[in-house]
Amino acid sequence: MKNLLKIAMLSTALLSVGAVQAQETVVWWDFLSGGDGVRMKALIEQFNEEHAGEITIEPTTLEWGTPFYTKVQTSAAIGEGPDVMTYHLSRVPLGVESGALAEISAEDLASVGLGPDTFAAANWEAGQSDGKQYAVPFDIHSLILYYNKDKLQEAGLLGEDGKPTGLDGVENFNAALEKLKPGSEYALSLQTSGDGTPWRVFYSLFGQQDGVFLGEDGTFLPDDSIPKAVAAVETMASWVEGGYAPALTEYEGSVALFTSGASALHMNGVWEVPTMADLTEKGELGFEWGAIALPTFFDHPATWADSHGFAIPNNVGKEMTPEKKAAVLEVISWMNKNSLAWANAGHIPAYTPTRESEEFKTMEPNATYSVLADTAVFDPKSTLAGVASPVYDAVANYISPAMNGEMGAQEAIDEMKADLQDQAE
Amino acid sequence: MSVAESSNAAVGAARAKNSTRTMKAFDVGGLILTLITVICAVLWAFPIYWGVITSLKPESQVISKTIEYLPRTWTIDAYWHVLVNTMIGRWYLNSLITSVAVTVLTLVISACTAYALSQLRFPGRRIIWYMILASFMVPIAALIVNHFILMARFGLINNWLGVIFPQLIHPVVIIVYKNFFDAIPKEYREAAKMDSASEWRIFTRIYLPMNWGITTALAIVTFIGAWNNFLWPFLAVSKPEMMNVAVGITQVNDAFGVQYARELAAAILAALLVAVLYLIFQRRVTQAIMLSAGVKG
Amino acid sequence: MIRNQRGEVAVALLLILPFVLTYGVLFLWPTVQMVYLSFTDAPLIGNGNWIGIENYVEMFDDRRFWTSVKNTAYFVVLTVIPNTLIGLAIAMMVSRLKGWQQSLILAMFFLPYILPVSVVYRIWAWMFNIQFGIMQFPISAVAGEPINVFRTQWMFMPAVAFVTIWWTCGFNILLFLSGLRSISTDIYEAAALDNASRWTIFRKITWPLIWPVTALVLTIQLILQLKIFDQVYLFTQGGRPDPSMVMVQYIYQMAFQKNEGGYAAAVAVALFVIVIVVSVLQYQFLRARGEK
Repeated sequence: MKNLLKIAMLSTALLSVGAVQAQETVVWWDFLSGGDGVRMKALIEQFNEEHAGEITIEPTTLEWGTPFYTKVQTSAAIGEGPDVMTYHLSRVPLGVESGALAEISAEDLASVGLGPDTFAAANWEAGQSDGKQYAVPFDIHSLILYYNKDKLQEAGLLGEDGKPTGLDGVENFNAALEKLKPGSEYALSLQTSGDGTPWRVFYSLFGQQDGVFLGEDGTFLPDDSIPKAVAAVETMASWVEGGYAPALTEYEGSVALFTSGASALHMNGVWEVPTMADLTEKGELGFEWGAIALPTFFDHPATWADSHGFAIPNNVGKEMTPEKKAAVLEVISWMNKNSLAWANAGHIPAYTPTRESEEFKTMEPNATYSVLADTAVFDPKSTLAGVASPVYDAVANYISPAMNGEMGAQEAIDEMKADLQDQAE
Repeated sequence: MSVAESSNAAVGAARAKNSTRTMKAFDVGGLILTLITVICAVLWAFPIYWGVITSLKPESQVISKTIEYLPRTWTIDAYWHVLVNTMIGRWYLNSLITSVAVTVLTLVISACTAYALSQLRFPGRRIIWYMILASFMVPIAALIVNHFILMARFGLINNWLGVIFPQLIHPVVIIVYKNFFDAIPKEYREAAKMDSASEWRIFTRIYLPMNWGITTALAIVTFIGAWNNFLWPFLAVSKPEMMNVAVGITQVNDAFGVQYARELAAAILAALLVAVLYLIFQRRVTQAIMLSAGVKG
Repeated sequence: MIRNQRGEVAVALLLILPFVLTYGVLFLWPTVQMVYLSFTDAPLIGNGNWIGIENYVEMFDDRRFWTSVKNTAYFVVLTVIPNTLIGLAIAMMVSRLKGWQQSLILAMFFLPYILPVSVVYRIWAWMFNIQFGIMQFPISAVAGEPINVFRTQWMFMPAVAFVTIWWTCGFNILLFLSGLRSISTDIYEAAALDNASRWTIFRKITWPLIWPVTALVLTIQLILQLKIFDQVYLFTQGGRPDPSMVMVQYIYQMAFQKNEGGYAAAVAVALFVIVIVVSVLQYQFLRARGEK
């Protein structure tokens, strides 16, 4: 029996050696632009170098969000999708329901040393649907508050330790904005149009009040959560209305406002850390920057979080050869094992050995905001939620307009609830 | 008299008219009108100028808050970046191949059909004519879903042929050709018949050569249409290397940070070929459009 | 003689064969399939069940569908007549010039027409950019602050219509120009002798004589603008998707984003019917005006 097992293992090993000996091309799609994109390109290059003659990744970066996921879905349906792609774990339920994702078996994952014990439980399970694995986590990313040290110093908002103080609580935060106003074009810059940031900020503020977005019985925003949602939206709207934050500003513009020194604070994902780091290194930033966890506006700390993962599209009518599959698995596993470089893009690595390594624990500014991992709130697990989902659309349709005063907060929440409930049926 | 001749005659007449007018007293109203025309034209073309100029500035000058009508420093960095870092060359090739194919196929199909309808008697003629009129009314954009399903079934998504086929429905081209074939005097045809020339010969040696003008015109119009088409190539292709240039520059993201100059450089490059061809063959293009649309009226 | 006729038929059939194939496979068949699909619950790719008129029933209750109908109609109103009138006005201005001056000025008006829509989008997105756009100077002068035109809901459609007119007007200008050239100069000369004012000449001579071209331009525009997708799709990216949705965009969203092929086909049939009804109505209306 033992011998038989040995022979089986040996032949598998031989087979997989044979698999990587032939040159395999792995078509790779991602949506990573900005500092993320630069870090990922470097990783891919390193991978290709280390696997020269065996595996080559052919990467393409498509437009983030809806354009990306639309392409993935239609391509998979006709067998024209990539071999591997980045995927938001928040979207896994929707992706599985629409048939765009292929299951990745536990054996396959185990063959490259990945499994439930190499990731945090919640993170690992976010890649599942009905107990089957459809995506492998790569990171956890969240929202943070970037600040311009010089401007905060001037406004007297830096504590003894050189970190911002007095930003917790809606009143305090707005008072701080008022103090920052004279020194900048905008006290706070953030994306105030479309989905992205508005959802992330909303969901954080909502989570800080223990709001329930999707109840167990399938009700969106149950009655007792509505006032909490309204409060969150009103808080966001007050920044625009008070002239602290720019109205109707796109993502790129909101980043540019901060990097050009026109705003004192900037609310955005951890993925812009490398943008700041690179600019500082090149000496083009013109001020000293820092980043902290999102302030606590309401009852307790809570911050929106999502994960990037890797998934294999369910390419209909196109069977993946074992050699190709082995190559794809190698890509997924190698990326995770080398995710320290990805942490450099501001993210928290999903792969436990990397996350618990000494190098990561002392990495700055990640260490400053890594506490937020304990208070992260993830998107509701639903086929209507996640990036490029009806929930994201609803944010662009209702929450963003409310943020800009085009709609009342109460009205926006009521309409959003009705719209989502309607689509759920 | 052909349409081309008649429009030439009209131009001549217009010239004559203008010269008689200048003979008269100094025309203040006319001068003001001319001035307004020039101002309007400059404003009209300004966005294109501004796009080109912006793409030739360094990124740091692009985001300056003052208006600089000319770059302080001229640079082609943005163009260089686009050429090196995107697949724009490949996209150009895709655009070129699919647009030329659409043009050639459309013209061949349309000329053959128009000749048969115009000169030959055969059963089913009426049905063909109804089909043309029906396709004239139907919004092709409404067929995107079924075109996609059909092309997927043929395995032609992410394939030049899949991009080309659904763009071949151009009933207007048939109608224009037919009108021109109808206008050729019957004597030519009868004379050729006397020489016992075959139908094919009559078509290719008499009817087509006599209408090279309209063929060129229709080719230009069809080509511009295919080159600029967005919706179908956008749907029929999901692989970046198969995109055409108009789709590629909006779908594939290679930028990071603030890169307005690069985005504009990519756009200018996408427009460049047809724009240059237009500027060289301006008169031709202008006449082509007048000719191909004027007939319908 | 009989033999000759048979030869003629054979040649004719050969000549129309490519037409029958392309229009049969790429026009007739998809049209039939579209109608069939609209009675099923099929996804984009794959089979569905016959569900009768359920999609249509649902459509009549669908807020987004009606929004898309309204927006399409609104866009048509904003573009068709203005585009035609502006085209005529510019054509009249250009037709006064001669020689190289005319060529130059005409080229400046016509150049936008040959740009791909994504280029038009990039150029105008940059012109109106909230922070660095050159249009923000006049906008700030009038409104007192910069405005993100393509993100302000009530401005969205008018702004896209404006860009569309800028983009496509060149075509109309050319049609009008060829129409103006064919008006006999004798009539103008006679009018000039009568010392008629420019306005009178326009009203009494140019407008009635150019009417057939105007009707043609209106027809082309109407059919074209009902199919609006490209510009609206590109300019809504990153904004509010629903309030500015147009019909083709809704078909696209249903089929390609929500994977509901059957429902998308039902919306496509609706667009189909609207286009046919509108063209018939317009044809009748223009004919009535023409006969008057």
